[in-house]
Amino acid sequence: MAASTTAPTASTASSSPMAFFLQGETGRNTRGLLRLIILCTIAAAAVASRLFSVIRFESIIHEFDPWFNFRATKYLVNHGFYAFWDWFDDRTWHPLGRVTGGTLYPGLMVTSGSIYHLLRFLTLPVDIRNICVLLAPACSGLTAFASYLFTSEMSDSPSAGLLAAIFMGIAPGYISRSVAGSYDNEAIAIFLLVFTFYLWIKAVKVGSIMWGALTALFYGYMVSAWGGYVFITNLLPLHAFVLICMGRFSPRLYVSYTTWYALGTLASMQIPFVGFLPIRSSDHMAALGVFGLTQLVGAAEYLRSQLPSKQFQTVIRSAVLLIFVVAFGGLVLLTVSGVVAPWSGRFYSLWDTGYAKIHIPIIASVSEHQPTAWPAFFFDLNMLIWLFPAGVYMCFRKLKDEQVFIVIYAVLASYFAGVMVRLMLTLTPVVCVAAAMALSQILDTFLVASAPTENDADTKQANGTPAGANGSIADKLSSALPDTLRSTKSPLVGIYSYLSKSLITGAITSYLLLFVLHCTWVTSNAYSSPSVVLASRLPDGSQHIIDDYREAYYWLRQNTEPTAKVMSWWDYGYQIGGMADRPTLVDNNTWNNTHIATVGKAMSSREEVSYPIMKQHEVDYVLVVFGGLLGYSGDDINKFLWMVRIAEGIWPDEVKERDFFTQRGEYRVDDQATPTMRNSLMYKMSYYNYNSLFPAGQAMDRVRGSKLPADGPQLSTVEEAFTSENWIIRIYKVKDFDNLGRNHQDATAFEKGNKRKKTSAKRRGARVLRVD
Amino acid sequence: MRLLQWAWLGLISFAAADTNVTHESRNILPSTFKPPQHFRNVNLVRNINLEKSYPRETINVVVENIDDQPQSEYYLPFEQGTLGRIGGLEAKDKKEPGRTGFTAEVVEIDPYSPTEYYKITLPAVLPPKEQITLQITYYVLSALSPLPAQIGQMDKQYVLHTFSAYAPSSYTTLKQKTKLKLPTADVPDVTTLPADLNAEGKEDPQKQGTTFTYGPYGEREAGAIQEASVRYEFTKPLTHGKLLERDIEISHWGGNIATEERHWLTNRAAVLKNHFSRVAYQQSAYYNPPTHALKEMRFPLTAGSVDAYFIDDIGNVSTSRFRTNTRESNLEIKPRYPLFGNWNYGFKVGWNIDVKDYVRHLKGQSNSYILKVPFFEGPKQVEGIEYERIVTSVILPEGAKNVRFETSVPLVSNTTGLHRTFMDTLGRTIITLTAVNVVDEFRDRDLIVTYEYPSSARFMKPLTIFGGMLVVFAFSWVIGNLDVSIGKKQKTA
Amino acid sequence: MRLLPALTALLLPLTALGAKKSPGDRFAEYDTKQRSASKAVTLDDRSYEALTTAPRDYSVAVLLTALEARFGCGLCNEFQPEWDLLAKQWTKGDKNGEGRLVFGTLDFLDGKATFQSMMLQTAPVLLLFHPTTGPNARADSTPVRFDFSNGPDRAEPIHAWLSRQLPHTSPPPFVRPINYVKIAVITTLGLGVVTFLSVAAPYILPIIQNRNLWAAVSLLAVLLFTSGHMFNHIRKVPYAGADGKGGMSYFAGGFQNQFGLETQIIAALYGVLSFATISLALKVPRMADARAQSIAVFVWGGVILVVYSFLLSIFRIKSGGYPFWLPPF
Repeated sequence: MAASTTAPTASTASSSPMAFFLQGETGRNTRGLLRLIILCTIAAAAVASRLFSVIRFESIIHEFDPWFNFRATKYLVNHGFYAFWDWFDDRTWHPLGRVTGGTLYPGLMVTSGSIYHLLRFLTLPVDIRNICVLLAPACSGLTAFASYLFTSEMSDSPSAGLLAAIFMGIAPGYISRSVAGSYDNEAIAIFLLVFTFYLWIKAVKVGSIMWGALTALFYGYMVSAWGGYVFITNLLPLHAFVLICMGRFSPRLYVSYTTWYALGTLASMQIPFVGFLPIRSSDHMAALGVFGLTQLVGAAEYLRSQLPSKQFQTVIRSAVLLIFVVAFGGLVLLTVSGVVAPWSGRFYSLWDTGYAKIHIPIIASVSEHQPTAWPAFFFDLNMLIWLFPAGVYMCFRKLKDEQVFIVIYAVLASYFAGVMVRLMLTLTPVVCVAAAMALSQILDTFLVASAPTENDADTKQANGTPAGANGSIADKLSSALPDTLRSTKSPLVGIYSYLSKSLITGAITSYLLLFVLHCTWVTSNAYSSPSVVLASRLPDGSQHIIDDYREAYYWLRQNTEPTAKVMSWWDYGYQIGGMADRPTLVDNNTWNNTHIATVGKAMSSREEVSYPIMKQHEVDYVLVVFGGLLGYSGDDINKFLWMVRIAEGIWPDEVKERDFFTQRGEYRVDDQATPTMRNSLMYKMSYYNYNSLFPAGQAMDRVRGSKLPADGPQLSTVEEAFTSENWIIRIYKVKDFDNLGRNHQDATAFEKGNKRKKTSAKRRGARVLRVD
Repeated sequence: MRLLQWAWLGLISFAAADTNVTHESRNILPSTFKPPQHFRNVNLVRNINLEKSYPRETINVVVENIDDQPQSEYYLPFEQGTLGRIGGLEAKDKKEPGRTGFTAEVVEIDPYSPTEYYKITLPAVLPPKEQITLQITYYVLSALSPLPAQIGQMDKQYVLHTFSAYAPSSYTTLKQKTKLKLPTADVPDVTTLPADLNAEGKEDPQKQGTTFTYGPYGEREAGAIQEASVRYEFTKPLTHGKLLERDIEISHWGGNIATEERHWLTNRAAVLKNHFSRVAYQQSAYYNPPTHALKEMRFPLTAGSVDAYFIDDIGNVSTSRFRTNTRESNLEIKPRYPLFGNWNYGFKVGWNIDVKDYVRHLKGQSNSYILKVPFFEGPKQVEGIEYERIVTSVILPEGAKNVRFETSVPLVSNTTGLHRTFMDTLGRTIITLTAVNVVDEFRDRDLIVTYEYPSSARFMKPLTIFGGMLVVFAFSWVIGNLDVSIGKKQKTA
Repeated sequence: MRLLPALTALLLPLTALGAKKSPGDRFAEYDTKQRSASKAVTLDDRSYEALTTAPRDYSVAVLLTALEARFGCGLCNEFQPEWDLLAKQWTKGDKNGEGRLVFGTLDFLDGKATFQSMMLQTAPVLLLFHPTTGPNARADSTPVRFDFSNGPDRAEPIHAWLSRQLPHTSPPPFVRPINYVKIAVITTLGLGVVTFLSVAAPYILPIIQNRNLWAAVSLLAVLLFTSGHMFNHIRKVPYAGADGKGGMSYFAGGFQNQFGLETQIIAALYGVLSFATISLALKVPRMADARAQSIAVFVWGGVILVVYSFLLSIFRIKSGGYPFWLPPF
């Protein structure tokens, strides 16, 4: 036991000569201490492996959403909790504004805000930015600990917990969302998820109200932290339901589930964003239904225990069934009649996988909502992915309530992870737990120092007698299909030869080492870039930092009016809000499809069409991202089709995706590009003046790898205000109305001067009139 | 305890306030004030140096006391509004530069009067009929205005400087001349004055190379003014610091002095006619022509500076180079974008230096120290930088007392207070000094601070932390031993 | 397609006959037709001409389609019932035709000339002719065209499109008639299943309650999902791709895509690996015979090593620059 306890990490202790420390009371203490030390080391490793980005770049907030969370946190810290709670933000979604306080999950901000104030109280004035940057790694340490507790509930082998902890600590699937600087809801949500599950399992095992209440408490915290709480909201009821169906209804289950549901629902309704959803939307109806079912079954059980009569029991059972069916029908009716809201789009698109692509292009357009190809699985949980099924199988060995939970969780989570890349996050914990169980089983088997002898094996054989086959059909069948796993029929003997022991142990150890290498490699190469700052290698191997985003954002911040409205595609809304501190039209909180479609239309239409739109929305600057010079593929021309689609969803007659494809259905930017494409504002703004950077006719787009038309596009209603060093960000100023009331085409043509131009300008003007 | 602390800190600040010479003491005069005509400027030569982005004026004047009483207060008049832009006005005796004791202070007059005065007090009274040769130097901030105000990205920039051909004087001046020192010979237009004004009947200005001379002129009464202006090519940024905050934090435990400077710069140069064109900028990057854009700055730091950083509101700026060796250390920074006319840039730079190179024990007293650092550093540019306001604050270790300071930079205010930061119980002593209208030629003026730091204060922090830990452990122990379980069997793991 | 020109040559003269009657009774005629047929009027070249010649005080929606099997236009056949249904519901919607809209269907066989004259290469195409006279007349007489770019279309979007195009006619709402047969079938089936279950319960229950069964099911599900089957399902990836040299390639290049066969191979590998793990963990320690046991240990250990290294080698194909490997692959 001692050996297996300290197998994975601290095998030195097991081989320590002082056997005294490994026996009896002191032995237990030693193991406890060792376990504690190991856990602390694991937590340290988990934190350390997430600091690549800080070391390589700086302590900076990553990507997109974190910038909003960061901004909100600063608001909370500066204006206090109540101001934050009813915060109306008029610097986003201009001119609509956003009721930010009521439309976000405040858990993250409140957490880091309270940490900030705690440190202040201890006279440690740590900058709020650093707290936000380092919150995720800190939580990952906690997650490792939580998964230790969770796994220890699952299996009796103490090494399983430790293995699960270290797996959870360094598995890339979780690191991907929790590196230092990715200050997103998932940062704390995963810890809460695992810990809530632990508490739930504990509650179901012990059946005490206290654990149930704790579960509810952390469930409430989870609700306040992440929209993914719906996963818990449906997983726990499912667990309870399955247990009931397996005829495993028990007072423990009743107590824990009822406590959790009652308190947890109340807790979740305290969040403004959630409000009355728990009783109004289908996402939460499963929990409600199972709550009712538990009541029914509870009552039935009670009656049954009172009345022994056989028929009466059947009556009760059928009654329960009937009531359940009726209630279900009622629920369906309510949903149809609209009292209960149908499944929310994001959640529904998990079941009907084609749904989002047709109905909610915005959701479909987000890259992390795409389905997952197998390399992603292997990339994120290298060896665990094949240990995972083994672990699930072992859960069937002795199928207690908690193992049932693992099985359900495993199947569901792997389905979700398959449908959506981002839900890999919810899969990772169960994978780590299951894999740890499988691996610990092997280690426990092969690390036992003492070897069995033949004869005691025989005695074991002798007393392992099969069950008697007589009685009803059911018994016969069940004896034909024994209720134990086929692999565990024969009794346990043990491993004889030390050679095989050492062999397997060595192999496993090397696999573990490989796993560690893999995790480190993945983390440092794939998940540690703050996508705000790009890094490239110079010929001499030194790192060169491409900082165009911040260059442009800081230019905006310093040299424009504080109230200048910036129009850009919604991806950059949060960053502009956070770094440039300027009002935006749309941002990553995509709550208003029409507004986004408006921006999409402005980007994808001709200048004459978009200029009025921009003027109506008081746009002062337009910001586009252009990777053509650097070969930076995540730019707006590549996202352009989504703008078109979303705009088409609202104005099917004015914007048509078809018009942006050539006759042969290609999406081109060179001189084969369709006129609609070449006249669209986005195209013009991206390539304006670009060809003057090259010798005549040599202009080259390094992303699309295509040669550009010899004469670049002409802009009349906007003018270039700033272009960053590598042209990644281009900012245009929207011209004011012409003084003489001409439209800008005429005006520009007039500036151009000579007579011939003017006549052509007239023609142009006329044509414009006809088209409008 | 706390109250007491405050009390004697208050005392300190008073002490400090009394001990230094240049804190705000201004005497209000009525608007009808006219300087008494005790003096006469026998001969006056005024040099206006326009080689940098701010004019430097030097007035060498032979002053004679024509009163029958000995006099010591010489008044220097300025247009209202100009005075607010005058910086670093200093007077000394031309004959014996070593002589100290000249003080120059603004004479406060209620805002309606057209002229305001600097009062220069001579170290010793000047007996009647005696003469003294004063040398008065000062800088005029934001005096150059680009004309035309809008130019293209690659164009030459011309700036206009307006001045009076007669030196400002509140006394009769018998003989005077004004010399302009220009940076270039490219001077499109300059005011020419008719010959009859000139004492020698020459038409002004007379040019030799890049030096233009007005005068000599004969007797002019007090406050005589002759408008003149010169417009010349100056294709350099007119860098203007709106505010510079500088923190110097001394830690005896860490053996380190941490310096941080927060700059808010703007470029007063001509505004871009069309918008910024990256193409043109990149093409010009190969041969780099003189431009009115501020592209990079050089901070010559005190030798032995280490781990310098350059950040702004949204994080680290990667375009900076820090070269250091035993003799010198240089921090060269590039702003995120080039600063053209009217563009702003705010940033922070900071670095560390070893405490024992800049803090010495005071001879005699065991635990009192003396600190000697530059009053401000900031970038050193060829064309010069002007600062509207500089706030330097020195953060001394917790428990430092009897703080005194001395600097030759003219200050407008100073305060002493408390600053609570990492694990402070009482807070650290901080002195905050403010100077206005400073130019980068003052960047090597020193700031000398003496303070007492008793060893009792030195050991206060570790003891506090130890005590805190102790309390925490005791508390947790007590909590751990509480039994909160309801039933016997319920064992809450 | 070849014989198109000839046919047109024959048919063209006939079209002249169309434009005789006054628009009013033309509309009445076709309106009655479509009401009696309670579906879109089936047109041929002449009637098409007749219906669509200016002056018109009514609007016409014609679906140009190719229903004949040999054209193999799946979309046409899929959409035809929808189209008729739409016509039916619409005409039912406005009883006395205020909308003044005629639905027509022109099959390629009857309307070669029309197809030719409009140089249509594709079908189906939906044309909407606005009235040329009357209050809602449009300036340009060219018909508005709806091309079925994105997949098989249902009646609802077409209805929406038509209502957008004809704002003046208060368009009748489109309601899909309830399919009673379907409901009946479903209910009967459901009841049947229930009865079957209740009868067969004693035989089925032990099977349902059998652990091994459930274990197998859930393991299969897990393997399926974790080997990226959902990706195939959603993205409709090909089963296997062909490499340049005529052979077939089992593994799609690139991190972001995969073949159907590929995922099955991967699932199989995972299965083997986890089965080996299970046997090492559970079966082997239960072997009574020492030699057999050690042999099993070697075998399973070897299997794990080989398959794992093979998996790694595959992954190196998928993502270039992946540095890790195991012997032997």
